[in-house]
Amino acid sequence: MLKIENLHANVDGTEILRGIDLEVNAGEIHAIMGPNGSGKSTLASVLAGREDYEVTQGKVTFDGADLLDMDVAERACAGLFLGFQYPVEIPGVSNLYMLRAAINARRNARGEGEIDAMEFMQQVNEKIAHVDMNPDMAKRGVNEGFSGGEKKRNEVFQMLMLEPKLAILDETDSGLDIDALKTVAYGINALRSPERATVLVTHYKRLLEHVVPDKVHVLAGGRIVRTGGIELADTLEESGYAGIEQADTQAQAS
Amino acid sequence: MTGQRQDISPSIDHYLAEFARIERDLPGDLTRERHERLRAFADGGFPHKKIEDWKYTDVSAIEAARFEMATSAADVPSGDLANWCPSDLDCHRAVIVDGHFQPHLSDLDALPAGIRVRALAESLADGSAPALGTTVDGHGSAFTDMNAAFAADGLHLQADPGAVADKSLHVLIVASGRQDGVMAQVRNVLELGDNSQIRVIEHYIGLGNHSYFTNAVTEVHAAPGARLERIRIQQEHPENGYHVASFHARQQRDSRIINYGIDLGGRLARIDTNSRLDDTGAEIHLYGVYAPTGDQHVDNHTRVDHARPHGTSREAYKGVLSGKSRGVFNGKVIVHKDAQKTDSEQSSDSLLLSKQAVVDAKPELEIYADDVKCAHGSTVGQLDEHAVFYLMSRGLDQDGARAVLTYSFVDEIIGQIDLEPIRVFLERAVLEKLPAGSRFAGLA
Repeated sequence: MLKIENLHANVDGTEILRGIDLEVNAGEIHAIMGPNGSGKSTLASVLAGREDYEVTQGKVTFDGADLLDMDVAERACAGLFLGFQYPVEIPGVSNLYMLRAAINARRNARGEGEIDAMEFMQQVNEKIAHVDMNPDMAKRGVNEGFSGGEKKRNEVFQMLMLEPKLAILDETDSGLDIDALKTVAYGINALRSPERATVLVTHYKRLLEHVVPDKVHVLAGGRIVRTGGIELADTLEESGYAGIEQADTQAQAS
Repeated sequence: MTGQRQDISPSIDHYLAEFARIERDLPGDLTRERHERLRAFADGGFPHKKIEDWKYTDVSAIEAARFEMATSAADVPSGDLANWCPSDLDCHRAVIVDGHFQPHLSDLDALPAGIRVRALAESLADGSAPALGTTVDGHGSAFTDMNAAFAADGLHLQADPGAVADKSLHVLIVASGRQDGVMAQVRNVLELGDNSQIRVIEHYIGLGNHSYFTNAVTEVHAAPGARLERIRIQQEHPENGYHVASFHARQQRDSRIINYGIDLGGRLARIDTNSRLDDTGAEIHLYGVYAPTGDQHVDNHTRVDHARPHGTSREAYKGVLSGKSRGVFNGKVIVHKDAQKTDSEQSSDSLLLSKQAVVDAKPELEIYADDVKCAHGSTVGQLDEHAVFYLMSRGLDQDGARAVLTYSFVDEIIGQIDLEPIRVFLERAVLEKLPAGSRFAGLA
């Protein structure tokens, strides 16, 4: 579904991604872990199409199409979803309005008419219950005055509504209490299916106790330095990222 | 000064001749007053850029155009007004066309007891109008003088003490634009008795394809405890309409005025909104939105005089400028020496959507009392690119994301209007001015 080959990217002239290779197949969940500054969030932003990141080398295909050739909205309409580490507050634009516009943009791209208002509200009521969000919050401005946890629940709610083929969740789990963390896990598991895939960018193993990934990658210095199963996350928990970096240095030295 | 006078005199001569032509049709026995104001207008001439208050607004197009007074209204069928009257707005309605009150287009039969609305021409003729210009208080311009000389008609509203209007009064002030170079000098007078209450929607529109000039003055006398909510909507023709309007209020004890000014139209629009808080506990709120596009120019000047203690003023203006448009905001607050315990806040925020758009925003505070609370702030910026990215990541295209965010910026003002049909009407009108905005009409 997603194939990244030798991806290099700069931010403000500094190279942050230095040759990423990654393949995610339909039905899989991948976790990308790594220390602060390793390039995790940059990778998520580059995949979503953020303009202030400059791709200098490499190739990314999504369902066979050249992802880097599409703008942010085209990627979203093609089925890619980015869950934000810091969701933006947009006072004056209600959550429901944004969602309806987002769904209709997708339908337009597929040449379908706008979603029926009744059907839309039915989906809203059903899905908002799953993320433990007060339905009144959906009528408020996008993330307006929401706490950190509420913003993340809202990201998951949007993901459930938009049913992406590929969800990239950028530290959606950080700073959450256990209930909110379970909600995030619920959302990811609910969308788990043979046609869909998820990439979890995370700093901690905590979320992986609720969502079992097929593969775990360790990102350091702009490259994937280790790939393994869930046991890799356990190793990280015990010896930390320093342990991995140390092992790498030793491996390079020998 | 002498040089200026010589440059502009041919045009002033035109307006003097125009006055002579129409003078015998003017209602009421105001010959002395009209001649006095006409002389002030002719002596001072049109404002020019060397006058501080007119530094950014060039009115030479109005001067050069030599507009002619419409001595009667064009015959506008009521169907032509339907687009400007939200169908779900349950209201009383007064219609003025080319400066003349039109009873047959108005709907004033169901006004509640104690509230009277009529043509100002009638009140001038029978002497029941108050003296004109007392609220202007020396803070007028050449255009207020011109209006005082020429004005033949407009709206006269009287609310008796304690009278409360059941519904809003929609005043539609129409420029028919049927022939080239017509001007209308509209004068509105609102007399609000003790503790009376009313909401007035003062709505300026331009229909035709010919250039025209609307010069309007609205005077408000607010007795103790009176409550006025005024929603001024300016939708003059964006290419052919020249609009100059001023509002002058005098507020007595504990009176409150909430004024919204929404400027979407006009090739050139200059609006002065002034109030004098003449007794303790008076309160004024001035909220504005302006959204010029293309070559439009919108200039809002406001002036609040806190003359007595315990007055409150709240002011927030928001501008959204695109194309090669120009916006001006000047907010003057004067706290006189007797106005202790004044509480005043002012903000001006504008969003530049294109590189060619320009805004000049200036708060001006003059404080002569020592125990007051006054705050002001001004920002000029662009759309938040993080928010654009967020919306696009959900699937909205570039223009759509920008339209939605721009809308949300001005909706902080428009969203406060507590009259749904007008709020939705304005929200849609704003969206229609933005690229791709009409696709998002459902936001409103």
